[in-house]
Amino acid sequence: MKKVLMGNHAVAYGVLLARVGVISAYPITPQTTIVEKLSDLCARGELNAKLIDVESEHSAMAGCIGASAAGVRTFTATSSQGLALMHELLHWAAGARLPIVMANVNRAMGPPWNIWTDQNDSLSQRDTGWMQFYCESNQEVLDTVIQAFKISEKVLLPSMILLDGFFLSHTSEPVDIPDQEKVDSYLPEYKPKYKLDVKFPLSFGNLTDENYYYELRYKMQEAMEKAKNIATEVDAEFLSTFGRSYGIVESYRCDNADLITVTSGTISSTTRVVIDKLRDKGKKIGMLKIKMFRPFPVEDVRMALENAKKVAVIDRNISFGNGGIFCQEVKSAMYNTGNHIPVFGYIAGLGGRDVTPMVIEDIIDFTMRHDRPGDDIHWVGLKI
Amino acid sequence: MPYLAVSLANTEANLTGNWRSVRPVYKNKVPPCKNACPAGEDIPLYLALISKKRFKEAWKRIIESNPFPGVCGRVCYHPCERECLRGKFDKEISIHSIERLAADYAHSHSRKDNKKRQRKGQGKKGKKVAIIGAGPAGLTCAYFLSKMGYRVIIFEASSATGGMLRQGIPEYRLPKKILDKEIEYILDLGIKVKNNTRIGTDIDIEDIRRNYNAIFIATGAHKNRKLLIPGEDNSHRIIPGLDFLKGQNSGHNKETGERVAIIGGGNTAIDIARSVLRQGTKPMLIYRRSREEMPAIEEEIHQAENEGIIFHYLTSPTDIIMDEEGKKINLGCIRMKQGEPDKTGRRAPAAIKGSNFIIEADSMISAIGEDPDLSFLPADIKTNKMGILIDANNATTLEGVFAGGDAAGEPRSVISAIGSGKRGAYSIDRYLKGVKSEEISKPSIVQYEDLNLDYFEKGKWNEPLKLSVEDRINDYKEVNKGFSAEMGITEASRCFSCGICNMCDNCLIFCPDITVVRKKKGYEINYDYCKGCLICVEECPRSAMTSIEEIK
Amino acid sequence: MENHIRSGEGALSHGYTSCAGCGAALAMRYTLEVLGKETIVVIAAGCWSVIAGPFPYSALNIPVFHTAFETAASVAAGVKAGLMKQGDTNTHVLAWAGDGGTFDIGMQALSGVVERNEDIIYVCYDNEAYMNTGIQRSSSTPWGAWTTTTPGDCTKARPKKNMVEILAAHRIPYAATASIAYPHDLMEKVRKAKEKNGTRFIHIFTPCPAGWKSHPEHTIRLARLGVETRIFPLYEVEGGIIYRINRIPKGIPVIEYLKLQGRFRHLLERDVEYIQRNVDAEWERLQEKVRE
Repeated sequence: MKKVLMGNHAVAYGVLLARVGVISAYPITPQTTIVEKLSDLCARGELNAKLIDVESEHSAMAGCIGASAAGVRTFTATSSQGLALMHELLHWAAGARLPIVMANVNRAMGPPWNIWTDQNDSLSQRDTGWMQFYCESNQEVLDTVIQAFKISEKVLLPSMILLDGFFLSHTSEPVDIPDQEKVDSYLPEYKPKYKLDVKFPLSFGNLTDENYYYELRYKMQEAMEKAKNIATEVDAEFLSTFGRSYGIVESYRCDNADLITVTSGTISSTTRVVIDKLRDKGKKIGMLKIKMFRPFPVEDVRMALENAKKVAVIDRNISFGNGGIFCQEVKSAMYNTGNHIPVFGYIAGLGGRDVTPMVIEDIIDFTMRHDRPGDDIHWVGLKI
Repeated sequence: MPYLAVSLANTEANLTGNWRSVRPVYKNKVPPCKNACPAGEDIPLYLALISKKRFKEAWKRIIESNPFPGVCGRVCYHPCERECLRGKFDKEISIHSIERLAADYAHSHSRKDNKKRQRKGQGKKGKKVAIIGAGPAGLTCAYFLSKMGYRVIIFEASSATGGMLRQGIPEYRLPKKILDKEIEYILDLGIKVKNNTRIGTDIDIEDIRRNYNAIFIATGAHKNRKLLIPGEDNSHRIIPGLDFLKGQNSGHNKETGERVAIIGGGNTAIDIARSVLRQGTKPMLIYRRSREEMPAIEEEIHQAENEGIIFHYLTSPTDIIMDEEGKKINLGCIRMKQGEPDKTGRRAPAAIKGSNFIIEADSMISAIGEDPDLSFLPADIKTNKMGILIDANNATTLEGVFAGGDAAGEPRSVISAIGSGKRGAYSIDRYLKGVKSEEISKPSIVQYEDLNLDYFEKGKWNEPLKLSVEDRINDYKEVNKGFSAEMGITEASRCFSCGICNMCDNCLIFCPDITVVRKKKGYEINYDYCKGCLICVEECPRSAMTSIEEIK
Repeated sequence: MENHIRSGEGALSHGYTSCAGCGAALAMRYTLEVLGKETIVVIAAGCWSVIAGPFPYSALNIPVFHTAFETAASVAAGVKAGLMKQGDTNTHVLAWAGDGGTFDIGMQALSGVVERNEDIIYVCYDNEAYMNTGIQRSSSTPWGAWTTTTPGDCTKARPKKNMVEILAAHRIPYAATASIAYPHDLMEKVRKAKEKNGTRFIHIFTPCPAGWKSHPEHTIRLARLGVETRIFPLYEVEGGIIYRINRIPKGIPVIEYLKLQGRFRHLLERDVEYIQRNVDAEWERLQEKVRE
């Protein structure tokens, strides 16, 4: 069934179809309409979930942790400051190996106050042990919610689905809502190996010394590594079930490309338009969209970029004191291949600044005109 | 290894007992009351039984250490109560009243078939013991020996049993039927009594030695001490105290006239004063020290005062002059003052010069003490000023001959005589078995500071019942009535049970490490996990837990 | 004393690593004695994070979730929601936190849970400072107490926060204070809590020999004196309104309590008088609440 949905409602429908058991959430712009829609779906009895209207994002994640540990499928949504407030418990959820799924509407961090999109909120949570999936469209958002539960419940790590504030969250697009029966067969009921159960009492998270902690962390990394293949399989299965697929990365018109731009989120859509236009002019330019940021799909990135002569990474984020975070990740993925393609790093669109086709053309133009990046960071359209 | 930190086992492999530097030990201690009791009665144990309305069991418990609970519940000077730690808290327990209650209950609920069962065991050991004197010491010794299985015979000079209990204590204080019951119970064990058999006169001690494996001499102290003042032997109106009491107890009251002067300050003096009062006379008691120093039981003095007996304290007789008709006594007296304390700390009285005066009386009874008559003893049983010389095991200087009670210079009290008889019995048993007496380590006696008083509420206590003065001074009805069953139960419930675990569970409840385990009798500590916090020691209300250093 | 306390073999295994004389260990023991094995416990950071035993061991024979410092209430609410979703209405969910996790860092989450009236039992084991981290002051630390962060002449200058009052203001269905020195009162309160619905809060006074600088054997004595001096009266509040004092304290002078603890060793006579006045005034206020 097709419906015109804004991104936040696409999230909510994904949660509905995934038959989530407990939702624990706290409102924050631009995430609020997710919680409102879910409350509405629960109130109307369409979604049979326990909804906990907590007093903070910290408690939102705590509620998810408790419910997930009790053995039910659990969801929350947040954004920006809210995600930052959750930070401690993001570690806790991942360390406890709980397959919680969260939607984070990417929004800039304050101060100053800014409610528009950038990725610094979610990328600041890079090392918490959460998988991260950056989405480009409302359809992808809905589909990724369903996929994320499947991936998380297989690898026992939590997932974060990222959607750009307003550009997706509040933008309406036609979205195909899959049949519930199909989703049910694709995503079976969650049956954890371990849970809080008085019939089989176990203790979780006891003080663990260096004799065991190290190995437990190895197992988390192992699960992350496994997640890449599992995500690919889950996506393939999604394709065969629902006829749609996204890949953990997507190469767009990269054949014989001299320059490959690397993007994530809605910048990918804009870039597609620019690529199409430049290809029509005969320019050998392609795009690599990175959907899965954690685990970082090193092999897929390497393979996608191995034949490019230049790479331009567009980051809607900044790691202060270094540069764009995707750029760093791409560079580090390429380093051990010995194939040292020049990688140009561009910072764009912070705090919701529009990344227009013209901005992307400027980036491509700059990259084409230079053999080497020169500076490690390039700020696009800086008004100083 | 699991992929997450999930428990695989419980913590029992972690023996936290290794942390300990001190350990609690579950061990009953000696309560001060028991320690003070010459018979060593397990007072807290029978108090606990009484508090649970188990009167008969309480009585059985008492007679394991003392066959005379009915007697002691009435006439014992109860040193136990003086030591009772509850006395420091609010008011000491009236132990003697509870003892009396247990005994009276048992006697009024006794079953006759006891006799047969008791007699069966008699003489199993085949050895025979002769006991000389059927007073409290002799009867007690006989009782324990008989229970051990010896064949016991008692030689008694008089025609009755009970010794001083029967002859020296008036009916209003110790009814004869109570005494008879308890003696009957003892003798029912199969003990033979040969009355009217005086050693040295009717039977020779050497004969006894030949025919018996051991002898216990408990002939008491029946020789009246003299005042040693002029005129003492001049008249039948000057009566030795013990003669008076013996006469009265055998139904032959001595003629005293109306005004009776009694000399002395002990229980005998008070008994005489109160007895003659009941004959309708006006007794005056003359004592050379102050009231505080009177050796008589405080309660007895108090009752005597209430009954209207006149007390002349710090007064000492100097001479006796009879009137011409030989009916009236002019008793010369002198006022005394308290002198310097002597070696024992007791202040010696000294006469105040020129304070002489005369007390007129129709008769005079002296009750300044009695000495044992040991003229029958062979020379190789040595004596001293106090009586027969004995060691800590009651053995005399003659092989196989033991002695106890007043005759052996033991403190002049019923309970001391009983304790002495009991000790004698155990010594004789060891002697006959050829076992040496064990070194008894000094018992650990509970101190007031050892108790956790937070678990006790200060409260009310019961005063034993007694007849009013009007109801009691005209005849020999028993004055003290003791406790009703209900009073006894509430009174017994007041016992701290010092040093004696009564399974209150505090140690178990408050153990942070769940290492105290309740067993059928008492508790066990699981030292594998006990960390030695000593909360159990601290929270035991009654000091039945002790801490000791851990040996590393 | 009538005894309902077993000799172990219940929800707790031996070998847990509480210090000798630990009050918090007893609090858990008594609580679980009543709640039984149909209980899931969520333990916030604190002494009990250590006491329960290191991975791969657990002293608790019931399901346990160890969680971050401020999340006992919120995680417990999540667990309850998860159970309800699965149709489990029987299992009790117990949130277990110290005074730091309750009065300070966890107070917001607790307030949220109580306001939403989540169906959990919350127990605060109160040893009046951050003991597991080495005796730092919390908002539960009483006036005048030494801690490593209120050292020397700078002992705590503010009184202990009144947590039950705060929760009563939420109109919590049931809140009560309890002391490990009165286990039967404590257990009766847990039993009452067990039979009620909504959020139930029990504030248990648990002396700490290490942090209070007291003798381990005095743990119960101190827990008792806390009550009998009226420093920590035993009372309960139903619906945030109906107050009931469960034990009339003897009114023992506070000095008897203070003098057994090294953390109060520096107090001068006037300090003790000040504490006594405050205790008397608070007791008066509590009695007024009962009369209302």
